[in-house]
Amino acid sequence: MTARLRVARETYDIRDIDRAEVLRYLGYHGQELTGELDARIDALVGRCLACARPRAAIAAFPVRETRPDAVVLDGCALSLTGHDIATHLADATEVVLLAATLGADVDRELRRLSLTDALGQVILDSAATALAERAADAAEAHARAYAADQGSFASRRFSPGYGDLPLSVQPAFLATLDATRQLGITLTPSHLMVPTKSVTAIVGIHPTPQPGLESSCTTCPLSDFCSIRRTGRTCRG
Amino acid sequence: MASASVATVTPQGHRATRSPRVRDERLARVLAGKDFLLLDGAMGTQLQERGLAAGEIPELLCLTNPEEITAIHAAYVAAGSDVVTTNTFGANRGKLGGTAGVEEVFAAATACARAAGARYVAADIGPTGALLQPMGTLSFDEAYELFAEQVRAADAAGADLLVIETMADLAEAKAALLAAKENSDLPAFVTMTFDEDGRTFLGTTPEVAAVTLDALGADVVGINCSLGPSDVTPLVERMLPWVGCPVMVQANAGLPHVEDGRTLYSIGPDEYCEAVARMLDAGVTVIGGCCGTSPAFIAGERALLEGRRVARRRPRDDFAVTSAQQLTAIPTGYVGVIGERINPTGKRLLREALRSGNHDYVMGEAISQTSAGAQILDVNAGLPEIDERATLVRLVSELQGVTTLPLQIDSSDPLAVEAAVRLYPGKPVINSTNGTQEALDAVLPIARHYGCAVVGLTLDEGGIPTTAEGRLSVARRIVAACDELGIPRRDVIIDCLAMAASTDQRAPRAILDGISLVKRELPGVRCVLGVSNISFGLPFRPLVNATFLAAALSAGLDLAIVNPMSDRLMDVINSWRVLSGEDMGARAYLSSYAGRSDSPASASPTANATSDLGEQAPADTTPEGQVRDLVLAGRKDPVPDAVRVILADAEAGHDALYVINEVLVPALDEVGARFERGTFFLPQLMASAEAAKAGFSVLREGAGSSGVPSKGTVALATVRGDIHDIGKNIVRMLLENYGYEVIDLGRDVDPQTFASCVVEHHIELAGLSALMTTTVPAMAETIELLHEQAPWCKVIVGGAVLNPEYAQMVGADFYAKDASESARIAGEVLG
Repeated sequence: MTARLRVARETYDIRDIDRAEVLRYLGYHGQELTGELDARIDALVGRCLACARPRAAIAAFPVRETRPDAVVLDGCALSLTGHDIATHLADATEVVLLAATLGADVDRELRRLSLTDALGQVILDSAATALAERAADAAEAHARAYAADQGSFASRRFSPGYGDLPLSVQPAFLATLDATRQLGITLTPSHLMVPTKSVTAIVGIHPTPQPGLESSCTTCPLSDFCSIRRTGRTCRG
Repeated sequence: MASASVATVTPQGHRATRSPRVRDERLARVLAGKDFLLLDGAMGTQLQERGLAAGEIPELLCLTNPEEITAIHAAYVAAGSDVVTTNTFGANRGKLGGTAGVEEVFAAATACARAAGARYVAADIGPTGALLQPMGTLSFDEAYELFAEQVRAADAAGADLLVIETMADLAEAKAALLAAKENSDLPAFVTMTFDEDGRTFLGTTPEVAAVTLDALGADVVGINCSLGPSDVTPLVERMLPWVGCPVMVQANAGLPHVEDGRTLYSIGPDEYCEAVARMLDAGVTVIGGCCGTSPAFIAGERALLEGRRVARRRPRDDFAVTSAQQLTAIPTGYVGVIGERINPTGKRLLREALRSGNHDYVMGEAISQTSAGAQILDVNAGLPEIDERATLVRLVSELQGVTTLPLQIDSSDPLAVEAAVRLYPGKPVINSTNGTQEALDAVLPIARHYGCAVVGLTLDEGGIPTTAEGRLSVARRIVAACDELGIPRRDVIIDCLAMAASTDQRAPRAILDGISLVKRELPGVRCVLGVSNISFGLPFRPLVNATFLAAALSAGLDLAIVNPMSDRLMDVINSWRVLSGEDMGARAYLSSYAGRSDSPASASPTANATSDLGEQAPADTTPEGQVRDLVLAGRKDPVPDAVRVILADAEAGHDALYVINEVLVPALDEVGARFERGTFFLPQLMASAEAAKAGFSVLREGAGSSGVPSKGTVALATVRGDIHDIGKNIVRMLLENYGYEVIDLGRDVDPQTFASCVVEHHIELAGLSALMTTTVPAMAETIELLHEQAPWCKVIVGGAVLNPEYAQMVGADFYAKDASESARIAGEVLG
């Protein structure tokens, strides 16, 4: 079997960031906000949207073998090791690899603020974390649509560093997606991604509906990137 | 072969001029821009077509499947390639990861290429795959070493030229090109990859890449990968005017997509070659292909070159310098502004900042000069009591975080200059050399080797000549020395040295005539002047400076070193730009000066601030109460005036210490308590700290040379391998606002560097942060070194992965769950 999904580089036009999400990353739980702080958060959310270039690379590969502690893929040199990912991908026939990033300008702006405005850095960092997750949502929605196209079901994304899937899979993961050339994502020796607002993740393509999905499209965080609903179906079947 | 011993370079070690070892006459014509050169197309996508799995190390195939590699090369030779490029894109020690030696891979790869029968073999050198500091963790020297190893291997393997390609980071491209020049004399081609928005992933434009790489001595400069050829065309057209050497393009065949399980590219050979033809017409002379191209594309390009003549090019002659993100170009007849503020001479706050290592003030000066209209920033760290070289290097790195303006490296120590310009990702100005043989010998080889513009002061062994002719004769000597080394005239800037009119009233005329003479007698050379010395000893100096500046502009001054925050001086510059025709249609002038007049402004800023304070009248109306309420509300803007009110009360006679101990610290304690109770969340805690900081700044300004009393010094760092610095920055902010001095070593800090700093400053409290489980061992290592070398020092640790047990395990004295707790611990340890 051959996989039929490869997106070398997709750019997303995301125009807003969920304020509640930003506040949540900032540790907010109902304190009284001053107008000044409110305005500052708005300004930095705007700054984040202006600096960010949300993009992703996406590719599918057939599963060659699922062992209790690893999933081996066909057509690429990547092995996903660990019991947790093996469980997550238990009956998957294919996996979709995705890498999403906001690009280097956000890191540069964070660095600028680290030298001039510590509070600004904290707020921008939260906004950027929220936005990077949105970019990953968009890429995951693409994977979900790919599953739906062939009558299969996607699982929720699972990232290197979750459970016992080690960060040491990152070099091969990024090489497989050509992510350094296509997206500018690089790695430090400790396998941290730079630009720092980057996400790598794995989505399984399964013959049966997967647990852990939203039960309704209205609460689904992927809904504004969803291309399945338009066809009158949902990713749950 | 040239000597290969240049990890730490001394000026004496440079070859003064570098003429590459060129294989034959044909290649010499290519490098002179008189002939075309056709490279090959993609290697990676050809390998994938042959079933190589994505993500493997393709360079190893040179060892395991040499016939396949040779077959790919041979197909390009058959299609008409003059040059085949070795399959060594990722063959650096980091990416090979011990699977094979760099030398071994280059030897095998070169043999594969030779076996294909190509006229020339180019050794391919791609990026390291890691990002350089400060955004990444790879140091410039580490990157240099990776590239140097590849260059030596390529040279030893018998390559004819080096192709450094797909660079997104100008600093990395510079490291690779320096490694090429310092470890081999083979011709070095350098290409960068650009995004749809016309910048690399790290924000470098085609103009910036062109100016910088050309100045650094690349033999060919260009663009590869990126996009399809029609999208690359406008980018290379932007590059062409800024490059003296040949320009090259190897574009992609568009973007890949999958059809029936096969990866296909969107552009075919015919469409590709149509776009390439337009680039040849624009002046590109070196072509080939990148991702998705195949021998069919190369055959099409070969046909394009048949009977074609090289297009004429007209490179610009502007004065041009760069940072990694910005080109500052001053065409002939225009005037440029160099900001003078980052220089400790006569500036107490700057001296204090450089001495303490807390550079906030310096960053502030850079930001204000940038927004005031400076086009280049002068950076001087010359204080006798500090390590000038280390401070200059650190400042240059930090300044790039807050400004994109190109920098002027200002030092009389050639070693400090070299350390700074070597690491600088761009083309800086060196300030300065002068007419003494010693200075010419020490500084000009650095300017030449690193492709910098250079300021030459008109003074020599005999001092500063008093006449215009005397200045010209020193300038002649400087320019002759530059000519001899091959430094282009447009990069040579003569400073006729402003002297105080109050001590010699003939001096101003001699300086102005000197400028005119230099401009007339030494065509192509630029003139610069630090204006403000002229008024030394006179009252109301800005007026004298402005008048002299206007006269100097009229005499032909190209670059003025001034304080751009001085309206009076900027008024002269801006109005001169109208008179000289630089400001076409006076557009810039009209937009900032329409409606301006000399009548005094109606309201003073202090009055505004007071009324602002009055509007939201806090409940406690004593000045102390007001400051406290402002800190609690996190409103920093009104704080300075409110603090001044406390200090101004002559009857009470309160000093800085009173404000700190009785007002600011109690307010911060209340903030900490609210944060602890959860009535404040983190941004509120920080906004309050900012407000308190605004109060501290007032106290610092008003303090004498002894400064504000410090409660002790704390050293902070994020440990090696970790690049998360937010938590550490919050701790720093809080500690500073409790009156502690903080030495912040930044992120990804080597254990020994940290320990040495603690020892050197005899620091009693150290704070370490780690966010990743993988970097906790580096934390343990740092603490162990501290225990050995600085047993007096207590250690606080914090960060997402830590807890009290973990903290004890790594040997820390304290665990702080948040920034507020760090401040409490500091109080316990330091008082």
